[in-house]
Amino acid sequence: MSFLDRRIHLVTGKGGVGRTTVAVALAHAAARAGRRVLLAEIGDPEGGYSAIGRKFGREHLTPEPEPLAEGIMGCQLCAIRGHELFVRSVIPAGPLIKAALASKPLRRFLVAAPSLHEMGVLYHILSLLKAKDRQGRPRHEVFIVDMPATGHTLALTSLPAIILDLLPVGPMARAMREGQSYLNDPTKAAAWVVTLPEQLPVSEALELLDGLRSTEMPAGGVILNRVPEDPFTEEERDALALLLDEKPMHGEVAFRRIGSAQISTAHLKQRTSLPVWELPEIFGPGDEEPAFSLADILAPLIAGTS
Amino acid sequence: MSAMTLTRLIHEKRVVVCCGAGGVGKTTVSASLALAAARAGRRVLVITIDPSRRLAEALGVDRDLAEPVALAPERARAVGIEEPGRLSTWTLDPKRISDRVVKRLSRDPAKIRALLENRVYKNITAMIAGMQEYTAVEALHEFVTSGKYDLVILDTPPSRNALRFLDSPTRAATFLDRRILRLFVPGEENRIRQAASRIIEKVLDIALGEGARKELQEFFQLFEGILLHLNRNQGEMKKFFSGDGVSFLLVTSPARAAVEEAFYFEQKARELELPLAGFVLNRSLAWASNRPMPHRSLLDEDASEVEVSALRKMRGLAKPEKDRGMRHLELLEELRRRSQGKGFAWVLPELAAEASDLEALSQLAEHLSEERPQPKRKPPRKRRSKSAVASVKKAS
Ligand SMILES: Nc1ncnc2c1ncn2[C@@H]1O[C@H](COP(=O)(O)OP(=O)(O)OP(=O)(O)O)[C@@H](O)[C@H]1O
Ligand SMILES: Nc1ncnc2c1ncn2[C@@H]1O[C@H](COP(=O)(O)OP(=O)(O)OP(=O)(O)O)[C@@H](O)[C@H]1O
Ligand SMILES: [Mg+2]
Ligand SMILES: [Mg+2]
Repeated sequence: MSFLDRRIHLVTGKGGVGRTTVAVALAHAAARAGRRVLLAEIGDPEGGYSAIGRKFGREHLTPEPEPLAEGIMGCQLCAIRGHELFVRSVIPAGPLIKAALASKPLRRFLVAAPSLHEMGVLYHILSLLKAKDRQGRPRHEVFIVDMPATGHTLALTSLPAIILDLLPVGPMARAMREGQSYLNDPTKAAAWVVTLPEQLPVSEALELLDGLRSTEMPAGGVILNRVPEDPFTEEERDALALLLDEKPMHGEVAFRRIGSAQISTAHLKQRTSLPVWELPEIFGPGDEEPAFSLADILAPLIAGTS
Repeated sequence: MSAMTLTRLIHEKRVVVCCGAGGVGKTTVSASLALAAARAGRRVLVITIDPSRRLAEALGVDRDLAEPVALAPERARAVGIEEPGRLSTWTLDPKRISDRVVKRLSRDPAKIRALLENRVYKNITAMIAGMQEYTAVEALHEFVTSGKYDLVILDTPPSRNALRFLDSPTRAATFLDRRILRLFVPGEENRIRQAASRIIEKVLDIALGEGARKELQEFFQLFEGILLHLNRNQGEMKKFFSGDGVSFLLVTSPARAAVEEAFYFEQKARELELPLAGFVLNRSLAWASNRPMPHRSLLDEDASEVEVSALRKMRGLAKPEKDRGMRHLELLEELRRRSQGKGFAWVLPELAAEASDLEALSQLAEHLSEERPQPKRKPPRKRRSKSAVASVKKAS
């Protein structure tokens, strides 16, 4: 099943590992392969800046998809938007409903209550997946979501089953089943776990894979980000290790990182049967955006069949 | 008011809250700071959130224990903790905390049972991600008022934006707002209210089905008393967080995005009038910035070819690392400037291995005590004519 044939990709992982960077790189790669891409992040109900937006030079994104770059639309997934869409889909629009949804306390409640927030987000995702263009084709062929850190991701992927347990019938149940029909189908959806080649992040990535499995969310693979390049032969490495014990010098931290990255990479590959994609550490002069060069490296993943 | 120092923080404060962007080292710094304070003779509790398995093992706790666990005496002594100093750890368990609140606040055993059995309640508290914020604050309050600890250090949950934690009392209050509840729970109030309730009931019946709507309503009814309490607590909590014994610590890594988040956070904390103690710049190479570059002179005369070529390749790694060290020093200066007169900026090194055992925590704890000098930028060279200054200015 190739990346481009699936409808939705959740990019997840622990905080700071590069989820946003990888999501943006995947979007560029898919757009270069000619797809209409939608790149989204979970909106922050309290406002604040947009991490995806910043990669494209803007502070904010709206719940409505807007063009970010050639072939890439971007939006913010928004719980309130999801709630509105849901209520409108089940109840004929009436002034009272409108008034109820416009009421401040209710809106605040919908955002603040833990599961209701995820529910709204999920419904918003669903509506974007189903959106059609004038020719009746999916408006967004490939939908890439920059997910929030681990716990929130699992809260979202476990939501349909929890809701169905609570509400086995009715429109909400139908919406959740529809959500499952996308998210739990490996031909339509995949989660990508981004992690770093270090001991702890790797073991956390393995835990996250277990968590995804328990929520029946299919995993596409692990993306090992910021893998340091290794210029040394084995003898050179041994010689340096000895020398550094006596003489501290610049480059030492990077040198040790190479060694520990190799150990944790091997550990990861041994513990998972999923494909593992390695992305190098990019040293841009200053703060150059790493997503562009990473998109080239991800091209085979995008095209490949695995 | 004199500026906050790290020593005062460790010796005098009763509560320290460690905030920062995801993955910067909040949990690690919380644990190291706790270790440093325990070494200084205080009874410390660190409330960690979702620690890695290895760190939890190092601290001697399981991930979901009912009560805090103190570090075993022989292990404590090995890392320099002597009586009366003590280091206890607890990992936040939202489900347990909210169950405890339910039990404490409701006198009616039938009600308690009904609530604990209610499926809405069960599922809401099981959704850990959302409940962490609400319960962290509640847990903190509970331990601080227990009197068993001189200092409680709170690690904060990773959230997309660290501010979520600060806003969580407000968010909880919103969630728990009585007026909202009234919409779900019909009472004898005025007719408009009742009409509104009926509409909402109808909407929920269509959306959720009648059975589920009833269960939801039951949940709100049962939960109302508890929410009221939390609401009341919330005012107290706000006072408590801006009180004298409390300090907020902003943890950041040198990554630009993390630093930006820390600054944003700083501003927000000032708006909310929260007592900021300062910054901790974690995982920094500032310490290493005065190391030598790899050079042939570091090798013996009779060095092997392998050594020579290894050292040559090392130069490729060394240059960016040196630059990073210099940038970290500059960043540290900036953090110092920002906290001048108010608090402190402290730097912790990037350790060779990951910071997930007692040995590593203890190394960081040592860096957190003021005996260890902090790195400084080299003072500008002395002989500097006027024209030299001018040319430097032009260059930058
Ligand atoms: N392969 C790479 N090489 C160099 N720098 C990288 C690489 N991947 C990510 N980065 C940098 O690491 C930092 C964190 O990346 P990013 O914001 O994508 O992480 P994240 O997981 O989305 O973080 P958050 O948890 O804050 O959302 C950024 O400064 C980014 O530029
Ligand atoms: N000074 C340090 N030197 C080396 N490694 C460190 C240092 N500080 C933290 N780490 C490592 O960085 C990783 C992240 O640290 P930690 O879990 O403390 O971050 P966090 O801010 O609590 O993350 P989260 O937002 O996910 O809760 C861990 O693997 C930890 O061992
Ligand atoms: Mg991000
Ligand atoms: Mg943590």
